[in-house]
Amino acid sequence: MSNWKLINKTFLYDGTFDGLLTIVFDCYCKKTFPQKIYAESNYTNNFLDDIFIIKTDYDKSERIFNGIEKNICAKALYNSYYAFLSDDNEKEINILKYICTGFDQGPKINNMLTISYVYKVINMRKQTLSECHKFKGLLRFQEIQNNLYYASIHPDHNIIEPLGHHFIKRLPMQNFIIHDKTRNLCFLYNKNEYKIIDDINIEIPDISENEQKYQELWKMFFKTIAIKERTNPRCQMQFMPKKYWKDLIEEP
Amino acid sequence: MEICDKLKILADSAKYDASCSSSGSNRKNINNGIGNGDVSGICHSWGADGRCISLLKILLSNACIYDCKYCINRCTNSVKRATFTPREIADLTINFYKRNYIEGLFLSSAVIKSPDYTMEMLIQSVSILRNEYNFNGYIHCKTIPGCSKELINQLGNLVDRLSINIELPSNDSLKLLAPQKQKTGILEPMSYVSNHIKQNKIDTNRFKNDFVPAGQTTQLIVGATPESDLKILKLSEGLYNKLSLKRVYYSAYVSVNNDKNLPTLEAPPLLRENRLYQSDWLLRFYGFKADELLDETHPNFNHILDPKCDWALRNIDKFPIEINTADYFTLLRIPGIGVISAKKIIKARREFLLDFEALKKLGVVLKRAKYFITCKGKYFNKVYKFNQNFIETNLIYQERSYLPMPEFKQLSLFEQLNPTKEDKIKCLTGSL
Ligand code: SF4
Repeated sequence: MSNWKLINKTFLYDGTFDGLLTIVFDCYCKKTFPQKIYAESNYTNNFLDDIFIIKTDYDKSERIFNGIEKNICAKALYNSYYAFLSDDNEKEINILKYICTGFDQGPKINNMLTISYVYKVINMRKQTLSECHKFKGLLRFQEIQNNLYYASIHPDHNIIEPLGHHFIKRLPMQNFIIHDKTRNLCFLYNKNEYKIIDDINIEIPDISENEQKYQELWKMFFKTIAIKERTNPRCQMQFMPKKYWKDLIEEP
Repeated sequence: MEICDKLKILADSAKYDASCSSSGSNRKNINNGIGNGDVSGICHSWGADGRCISLLKILLSNACIYDCKYCINRCTNSVKRATFTPREIADLTINFYKRNYIEGLFLSSAVIKSPDYTMEMLIQSVSILRNEYNFNGYIHCKTIPGCSKELINQLGNLVDRLSINIELPSNDSLKLLAPQKQKTGILEPMSYVSNHIKQNKIDTNRFKNDFVPAGQTTQLIVGATPESDLKILKLSEGLYNKLSLKRVYYSAYVSVNNDKNLPTLEAPPLLRENRLYQSDWLLRFYGFKADELLDETHPNFNHILDPKCDWALRNIDKFPIEINTADYFTLLRIPGIGVISAKKIIKARREFLLDFEALKKLGVVLKRAKYFITCKGKYFNKVYKFNQNFIETNLIYQERSYLPMPEFKQLSLFEQLNPTKEDKIKCLTGSL
C-alpha cells in the first residue's frame, strides 16, 4: 500500500457493510485512499471537507466480500465484519487499509500486528465480539404477550445482528424483540424470519402476573446465591459495570 | 410450601459449591427445542460475592440423612428443610432459560431416604427437561455417593456434566468429618464415569445419547482439614491424569457449624484458594507438574509471589529465556507470560525478530516477565543485574507496592504479607 495515493477527500457512504465494501472496491481499483470516511448519518458538515458520496453497489461489494475470503482468508472477513460493527469513529479507514493490504499480503496480514491499522482492526473485532459475548449473558427477556419476549439493551457497539442470531439458534420457537436503545434499532424475530428495523416506538404493556412471578423468583435467587462471607462488590463491578444495570431484572 | 420459599432455602444450600461453569458442551438445538450449549460457556450475571452466575444452582432437597460435620445441611443441624418436586425444577429451569437468566441447570441434592432414591429424583427432573420440554441447554448434575451404577448411567446419558465432590482431600479427613461417606463410594463412581466417557469416545458411531459430553468435575474444600497444598495439588494432578477430570474446583472453607473436629476460621482462606487455582492452571495448560511447584521442603505456596514466580526464582538457572527462540512450553514458563501472550509471540516472530518495544506493542505485560527474558540477546534496560536476590527483591517490592485496603487484611491469615492487586481481583471470582 506504500505507493498508494492519498486523496484529499471525505467519503460519505450509507453506513452499511456493503457500502464500505463498495468503497474498498473503488479504492483498490484506483490505488487511492481518502482522508476520511463517514457514514452519512454520523457526519456533521464541515466547511473544509471536500465531500464525495459513494453509492452502494452490491455487485462491487459482493466481489470484495468473496475476494476477501478467497484471496486473504475467512478470518480476515470475520475481522472486517466485526470491526465494522465497532463504535470506533475511524473504523472505516482502518478497515479499508487492512483489507487492501490483505489483498497484497495474503493471510499473514493477521500476524502483522505492529502495523497500526492491522492492530486496530483486530482490536476492534475483539471489543465488539467481547461485548457481544457479554450481552449473550446479560440480556434479559420479559414476556410481554403470550410467547412474545422483549429485551432492551444499551451496547457500545452495533452488535444487535450477531446477538439476534445467537438467540434464534437458541430459542427458535420463541418470538422476540431485541431493542438496542442506544441506536434505536430493533431486531424482530417471528419463529421463521428476522428483520432489523430502526426508529420504532415500542409500548411495553404492563407485565402479566406470571412474568412478575418469575422476575421475583430470579431476583430472590440472585440475592440468595451470593456467599455473604465472600462479599466483594469491587469484583462484581469489574465484571458487571454499572452501565449494564439498567436493563437487568436483578438489582446488583 | 410456596415455590418462592423452596427456592430460597435450596439456593441458599447450594451456594457453597464453587462450580459455576457452563462450558465444554456444544449440544445443538434439535427439533426446534429450547436451548443449546455454548462451548466457551456464558456468564449471565455476577453476584455480590463477585462470582459468576451461569446456572440455576439449586439442591433438589436439603433434608439430609447424613451428618457431614462441615455441612450446613447435616441432619443434626436445625435448619429449614425443603424438597422440590422434579416438575417444579423443570418449570423453573425452563422459565429462567426463556428469559435468558441462565445457561442451564446445576442440580445437586442432599441424600434423602437413600442414595438411590435421591438419584432417581434427580433423573426424573432432568428427564422431564430433556424428554418432555425438549431442553437442549446445559445441565450439570451431581451424582450421589454410594448410588448404583445403573443410575449413574441413566443420568450420564441426559446431562452435559457430572460431578462427585470429594470435598475432603484425604481418607483420614473423610473419616473424621464425613463418617457416612466412604472413599470408595466417591472414587469408584468417578472412575466408572471416566471409563464410560472414554469408551463413548471410541464408539464413534454413536452420535445419539452422548455420555457426559462436558466431562466430570469435582470439588475439594480447602482449609477445613490439615492437608498441605502439596497434598491437595498431587491429588488434583492424579485426578486429571488418571481419571481425566475436566476441572477440580477448590472451595475455601466457610465455617458454618461448630464442631470439635472443625477449625474455627475467622474468614475463608481465599488467598490459599487462589494460589491453588493458579497452580491448577499451571498443571492443566502450562505443562507443570505438582512436584515442580511444591515439594516436602516447600509444601505450601508462597503468600506474596504467585506459584510461577516462586518456581522461577527457585529455578533461576533456567533463565533468562530468549524470546525469539524459545519454544511454546518454554515461553509459558516465564512469569507473566500466559497462553495468549505466548501464542502472540510465536505468531509475531515469524515475521520479524522481537525487541522489548515490539513485545509491548503486542500487548505482552512485562511487569514480571522483564526480569526473566532477553530479546535478541539483550536484557531489559532497567534490569541491570541478573541474579536471584535482585529479582526476588524487585518482585516482592513490586507486589507489595499495591498497598492493601483494610477490607483485604483478612486475606493474609497466616502472615502479615499482602496479596497483590491482581490477586485481590481474581481471588474472589471463582472464574479464574
Ligand atoms: S451428604 Fe453430607 S455434605 Fe451432602 S448434604 Fe448431606 S450432610 Fe451435607
